[in-house]
Amino acid sequence: MADRNGSSRREFLKRSALAGCGALAASQLDLARALVARAEAGELTPAELYELNRLENTLYTACLGCNTGCGIKVKVLDGVAVKIDGNPYNPFTLHPHLPMTTDLSTAARLDGAICPKGQAAHQGAYDPYRIRKVLKRAGRRGENRWTSIPFDQAVDEIVKGGKLFAHVPGEEHRTVTGLEEVFALRDPKVFAEMGEDVAKLRKKAMTVEEFKAKHAANLRFLIDPDHPDFGPRNNQFVYFWGRKKGGRSEFAKRFLDAFGTVNAHGHTTVCQGSLYFACKAMSEQYAGDGFKDGQKFYWQADTENAEYVLFVGANLFDANYGPPNRSPRMTQRLADGSLKITVVDPRFSKLASRAPGSWVPVKPGTDAAFAMGMTRWIFEHQRYDARYLANANKAAAAADGESTWSNGAWLVKIGADGEPGGFLRASELGLRPAEVRTSQDGKQTRYEDLVVLRDGKPVAFDPNDEKEAVEGALFVDTALPSEQGPVKVKSALQLMREVASERTIAQNAALCGVAPEVIEQVAREFTSHGKKAAVDVHRGPAQHTNGFYAISALMNLNLLVGNFDWAGGMIAASTFNVDGTKTAAQPFDLKKLAPKPRKPFGLSVIRHDAKYEESTVFAGYPAKRNWWPLSSDVYEEILPSIQDAYPYPVKVVYSYMAAATYSLPAGQTNIRALQDLERVPLYFASDITVGPTSLYADYVFPDVHFLERWEMQGSHPNMPVKVQPVRTPVIGSPNEVVRVFGEEQPISYETLWLALAERLGLAGFGKDGFAPGRDLTRPDDFYVRLTANVATDGKQPVADASDEEVRVFLQSRRHLPRSVFDAARWERSAGPAWRKVVTVLTRGGRFDTAEKAYEGDHVANRYGKLINLYQEKTARAKDAFTGKHYLGMARYVPVTDTLGRDTRALEAGHDLQLITHKDVRMTKSRTITHPYLTAHLPENAILVNARDAKRLGLRSGQRVKVVSATNRRGVWDLGNGHEKPMIGKVAVVEGIRPGVVTFTLGHGVWGSGATAMVIDGATLEAAPSRQGGVHANAAMWIDPHLKNTCFIDKVGGSVSFYDTRVKLVPV
Amino acid sequence: MQPDIIVTMHEDLERALKKPPEQRRWVMLLDVRKCIGCHACTIACVSENKLPPHLYYRPVSDQERGKYPHVTRTFLPRPCMQCDEPRCVAACPAKGKGGATWKETEGVGAGTVPIDYAKCRGCGKCVAACPYGARTLDRGGYHSDGTPARQRYEAMPSYEYSKKWPREGEKPPVGRARKCHFCVHRLASGLLPQCITSCVGRAGYFGDENDPESLVAKVKKANRIQILEPAAGTAPRVYYVANEKLEVFHG
Repeated sequence: MADRNGSSRREFLKRSALAGCGALAASQLDLARALVARAEAGELTPAELYELNRLENTLYTACLGCNTGCGIKVKVLDGVAVKIDGNPYNPFTLHPHLPMTTDLSTAARLDGAICPKGQAAHQGAYDPYRIRKVLKRAGRRGENRWTSIPFDQAVDEIVKGGKLFAHVPGEEHRTVTGLEEVFALRDPKVFAEMGEDVAKLRKKAMTVEEFKAKHAANLRFLIDPDHPDFGPRNNQFVYFWGRKKGGRSEFAKRFLDAFGTVNAHGHTTVCQGSLYFACKAMSEQYAGDGFKDGQKFYWQADTENAEYVLFVGANLFDANYGPPNRSPRMTQRLADGSLKITVVDPRFSKLASRAPGSWVPVKPGTDAAFAMGMTRWIFEHQRYDARYLANANKAAAAADGESTWSNGAWLVKIGADGEPGGFLRASELGLRPAEVRTSQDGKQTRYEDLVVLRDGKPVAFDPNDEKEAVEGALFVDTALPSEQGPVKVKSALQLMREVASERTIAQNAALCGVAPEVIEQVAREFTSHGKKAAVDVHRGPAQHTNGFYAISALMNLNLLVGNFDWAGGMIAASTFNVDGTKTAAQPFDLKKLAPKPRKPFGLSVIRHDAKYEESTVFAGYPAKRNWWPLSSDVYEEILPSIQDAYPYPVKVVYSYMAAATYSLPAGQTNIRALQDLERVPLYFASDITVGPTSLYADYVFPDVHFLERWEMQGSHPNMPVKVQPVRTPVIGSPNEVVRVFGEEQPISYETLWLALAERLGLAGFGKDGFAPGRDLTRPDDFYVRLTANVATDGKQPVADASDEEVRVFLQSRRHLPRSVFDAARWERSAGPAWRKVVTVLTRGGRFDTAEKAYEGDHVANRYGKLINLYQEKTARAKDAFTGKHYLGMARYVPVTDTLGRDTRALEAGHDLQLITHKDVRMTKSRTITHPYLTAHLPENAILVNARDAKRLGLRSGQRVKVVSATNRRGVWDLGNGHEKPMIGKVAVVEGIRPGVVTFTLGHGVWGSGATAMVIDGATLEAAPSRQGGVHANAAMWIDPHLKNTCFIDKVGGSVSFYDTRVKLVPV
Repeated sequence: MQPDIIVTMHEDLERALKKPPEQRRWVMLLDVRKCIGCHACTIACVSENKLPPHLYYRPVSDQERGKYPHVTRTFLPRPCMQCDEPRCVAACPAKGKGGATWKETEGVGAGTVPIDYAKCRGCGKCVAACPYGARTLDRGGYHSDGTPARQRYEAMPSYEYSKKWPREGEKPPVGRARKCHFCVHRLASGLLPQCITSCVGRAGYFGDENDPESLVAKVKKANRIQILEPAAGTAPRVYYVANEKLEVFHG
């Protein structure tokens, strides 16, 4: 095998001045020569013949077959990735995993377990439909006719704009605005000043006229001077992404900080947004004058220690972050009875199948009613943890050995209408006056104590007080005297009990379609295991129009037993830091190694973190589209909002690894939006194939496959071990090698950002981009430094790599071209942390030991803060369609459209409720390119209960079309003259609730080799293996008020995946 | 904290490999209660052994029983049973050691039923004879068929029976009978069979049944064991643990 990096390795060895290292390499070389000779003579032993477990052929990285990101070891022969297995150093594939101190040769002989997508992952890299050069559309958007053009030309065109599509009939005279012009405001000082005044504008502390007078000289930089809250024209650049992990996030942030746009949006709400944003609301911390710093995250059950878990809409053995890590923590315990579970799901999942008697098939969308029934039973039988719930602050929690506490005992003010509002402040009773506190960063904030009732008397307290423990009465419904007269108050727990009392258990059970006894039994079981019981929820309850409250209601059950941070309870993810801002020992603080950011300001085009009432476009209720004071990354808002130019028109759209048209419910609405040349004047995409969304782009830039690139994978909430899996190139890229900042590199996502930064002259990139002598001209300049940060985070850094490990590190990368791997360059980037970087990269990341995950009966990596039972911030926000306040206390609310209307009109004549699920062999749009998977699962099916099948005269294998009230023809209109009918094969089963039908995501794809395309005049025919199955998202309801968007959860942002009623029409 | 059973079985394997072949008895035990039907074993095996489309050494069936809402679902992994009384060997026209398939008595693979691709003529008699449907004729084909280009990884060799088998034209193993061999080539390198080490639910056990300290021997002893097709008298070396009677799910 050619040692293409021979020279750089020699250089490295010479400079490292490691005498032993060179000698070792020489002796290895002799060994290799001897081996070749014996092989030629046919004398190899079987062990010598097998090449896949050799250290030098083994590279560690992290999978991205799905977002679990399991650790993988990639076995490389002659530069080709031929086999993938689990990384035994990574706790996602071995339980417990090998400590990082284990030598490399031991690990090379031990394969961890990964799912079939990971086993097939190299097929995504070796996909004949991958694009290697930049493609520019030769026809209309979506026509799928392309011309390959030089990278530099494409970047120039995007930056400069002009009549870029004069070759397309109808676009001869269309002039496109380039990024250069959109990058209008450049002075960081003006950014800061205008940003501050826009904040005042929102709070009505300044009028538009005052703003215009004050900023007269700079109004030309604004999108609309009459609406300064739209922000600068820079906001007319919208960047959105599908799957993006750490590292690439920081890379993009660096560009966006320098460019100054607020429009950078992820895809969270198509996954389980309302789970994220309900938990964000629960994690908001009291900051003296309100709540802030809620984390966009969630908790999951510690399955390896729980005695009982109630899983609601969580598909563990097919998905759910993910089978390789969660299954080995459960299967033996399920088999021997040490773990009991209940599975609330309309579908009999693989999870339910492993625990006989565990299945509770509820009606989709009624999960909150189930939770409220349980809540009522728990109150009636006093099965809550009163000791936990009485704790009002940190000191009280600590005194009970608890690391978290709730606001259950806090007093909430009740309005004249009887509705709860904000928490009572101590100053309102004259208990303790408000004060001004100075925070660590020197900011002065107003601070007021809160109030509980203790022995009938109000007691002021600070929730974060670590010294003075304060407990409160659990159930309070009273009026307290104040100077302004009596103040009516209730404790949060009292509110919860009242809400739970609104319906009987039998009434809740009727909503769910289960027997009341089931709710009672589950509630009893859940409260029979102390802290070792958990309610673990996922997409099922989240992806409905009532998702936010359903998740909150279910998570509140966990608060009733106070199981957070307990072994066997609810736990949060814990990762080693990548951006160098955590400890002084980390060498590369990205905040310090960057120019002063242009602080982006103004409304985003999806109106997140913003209130309708505070905007200059407020025009009464209902608003044209929703506003999102509590949620962000609202995927379904991006393209339809752009199409509506609400609140403003945009100029340039960029999507990365995104398949919004495929993955969103009613994704066809996004095709319409992308084809609107006026509202989306310029659209470019980064993708590895021409996929179902990038098909509609003006330019598609090839990205590198995940086996060819860097990323910081992070972790998931079910993983108690602190980790940071590092994704690192293990094979070269087939992409065209281009020169950016004078450096050769295969075209990638980073290359594109770098080239745009180079053309726009953005500070913080290029030569001396980080600091004098520290360049940022290529991906590894960035990621080697991030890896150094990972290696040095925490109390102790990782150990330095030994000489032998350095040798293995170099030898195993011998096939990588210099444009990807250059040891000398990497060592220069890492500086003194180099050998620690090698330690991390030879193990696929950094992982604490399994032992360190727990301390006694708690997890070691704790959340350790307040968790809100009652959500003040939520209660203070308003519904942009009705003007009514959101609910601070979670409960069941029915499924409705955005205007709050029931769905009966849409249901009429459509008797089946459509849901979706995942099969472990598919991940939405990106696994159809993997033939090991498509050969095994050539097409999906529409699962129909046998009773429904009998009623409708359907049989297994029969082909049916899926139609709904908002897609009566049952087709995907691809907008290019082609239609893709939503026709799939029926599978008649018993394991689904009658009245509900489902299909797995991942089939029924267009683009990505599933449709023919023309490049440079030559036709690339479609692959039959990619055309199987059905994708029925286009049948999902379109909201009658929004008209170009699916049904949505107005509070938590989730799209509605499971509310649509359909009809199956035999074809 | 108990070690992962993969690690325990790996240690068992290292111990077993030090014993003389005739003193070992390789067996596999599949605890169906723990099989989550993820098909990782199936696909891992395809990748390890470079199997063409629609040829599987280690299929896992997924069968539903009962009436709503009282439903059960059984995932049944079915490798080659490496029978001590193999019908396939009896059916093969090129019998015996030095023939196309036989009951191995020597080396790392002692106890398994190998196929010599050089000797096999692809007559298919063994395929019909196997009561477990464990054998399939390799009819050629590549995973990139129907796409614009064949990919390099597809031509890279498999290491079955500790020989290199690059996939080229009509050369073996194309046209030959193929089946699971307990990954003897991996055992020879001190690695567990691919299906065992890729088992996400940890349902698969492998090792030397003659070693009472081995995990597979302990699990076998601690549970009620089932075999498939007991009436066939094939003496399979693959055991099952299950709550349900597996015979009804087979065939």
